[in-house]
Amino acid sequence: MKLKPNNAADAKENSTKNMTRRQFMGAIGHTASGMAVAGGLVMVYKFLYPNVLLEIPSRFKIASINSLQPGSHVFEPEHRVFAFHDTRGYFFALSAVCTHLGCTVAWKSEGITGHKEGIFLCPCHGSEFTKEGDVIRGPARRHLDRYHMAVDEGQLIVDTSETVNTIEDMILKV
Amino acid sequence: MQSKPWRSVFRTALPIKTNLDRSLVMFNSLALHIQPVKVRERAIRFSYTFYLGMISFFLFMVLVVTGILLMLYYQPAIPNAYENMKDLQYVVSSGIFLRNLHRWAAHLMVISVFLHMLRVFFAGAYRPPREFNWVIGVLLLLLTLLLSYTGYLLPYDQLAYWAVTVGSNIVKYVPIIGKNIRFVLLGGNTIGEYTLVRFYVLHCVVLPLFITSLIALHFWRIRKDGGLY
Repeated sequence: MKLKPNNAADAKENSTKNMTRRQFMGAIGHTASGMAVAGGLVMVYKFLYPNVLLEIPSRFKIASINSLQPGSHVFEPEHRVFAFHDTRGYFFALSAVCTHLGCTVAWKSEGITGHKEGIFLCPCHGSEFTKEGDVIRGPARRHLDRYHMAVDEGQLIVDTSETVNTIEDMILKV
Repeated sequence: MQSKPWRSVFRTALPIKTNLDRSLVMFNSLALHIQPVKVRERAIRFSYTFYLGMISFFLFMVLVVTGILLMLYYQPAIPNAYENMKDLQYVVSSGIFLRNLHRWAAHLMVISVFLHMLRVFFAGAYRPPREFNWVIGVLLLLLTLLLSYTGYLLPYDQLAYWAVTVGSNIVKYVPIIGKNIRFVLLGGNTIGEYTLVRFYVLHCVVLPLFITSLIALHFWRIRKDGGLY
């Protein structure tokens, strides 16, 4: 590529040494315009970010302790949460949102080879999870979100905004 | 024909005799000047371009017309959206015809834009001086896909809801800012009222404005880069 005559570079060099009035006013004008545009972009971004959401509360009652018998489970479709009462006597709650792309996993109580206690199967892309939410088969790479349930007046309470990482933290012994 | 009002609209003097007159007819008309004054004969043979670009543009015009008509019976709200879509199918005269026309034209446009891209690629029509028009073409393909994607949510049925759930979760995999993009796109953490309105505005206003501007630039550049190749 042929280089252009170096007028532009010369002009720039001169301008740093000896700025004309026109260049000075131009620089002020461009800076002001740039700041106005940047401010406008920030405002638009903030505008697009809703401050009030019309979403359901994250904390809710999923079941009463007495109604959830050992070996049974409930599914709350609004929040997409499963709550289990394990035959070994403890409770736990898991998100039904597949960690791959967000479809709702289904509980398959018949299980598969090696996981007779039942598995979660995602209908969209076939991810499989153990009863405790660990990945058996991808494409999902992360375990299902685990919640620590609280007990309030005989009701099992889940807060979907608070997840726990380990199975031990998830388990609720009553 | 030579009256003053006529001459104020159509500048070219009649009768047309010379080649200069013929070229002036093209030059002096907004609609006709999209066509070049001269074309090589082989360039307008069907087997040369398969008219894929023009077919894409024609489908886009079908989508604009049917889309504007569908907008008259559609409210982007829950549960109105789904009910409006069902009303279009069963209550509104020719509603199902327009809806299907819109849907089929959208599918066909994706196909024809893609085939157009293949044609340009295999003809080598992306080479200089047409490199930038290839870039615009890629953006047009992207906009076509985004228009299809945003239109997908509007019926607000199970298919729409889960397709957009999956699609917006793909956005979440963008490094660092993925979760923010998804939040702004959906107007929340899950698909809801705000999402429907946002997708509606994108589908009916923002993306059509972008694609119309780029189509104009694309056509203009065909001429400036030396015509059909």
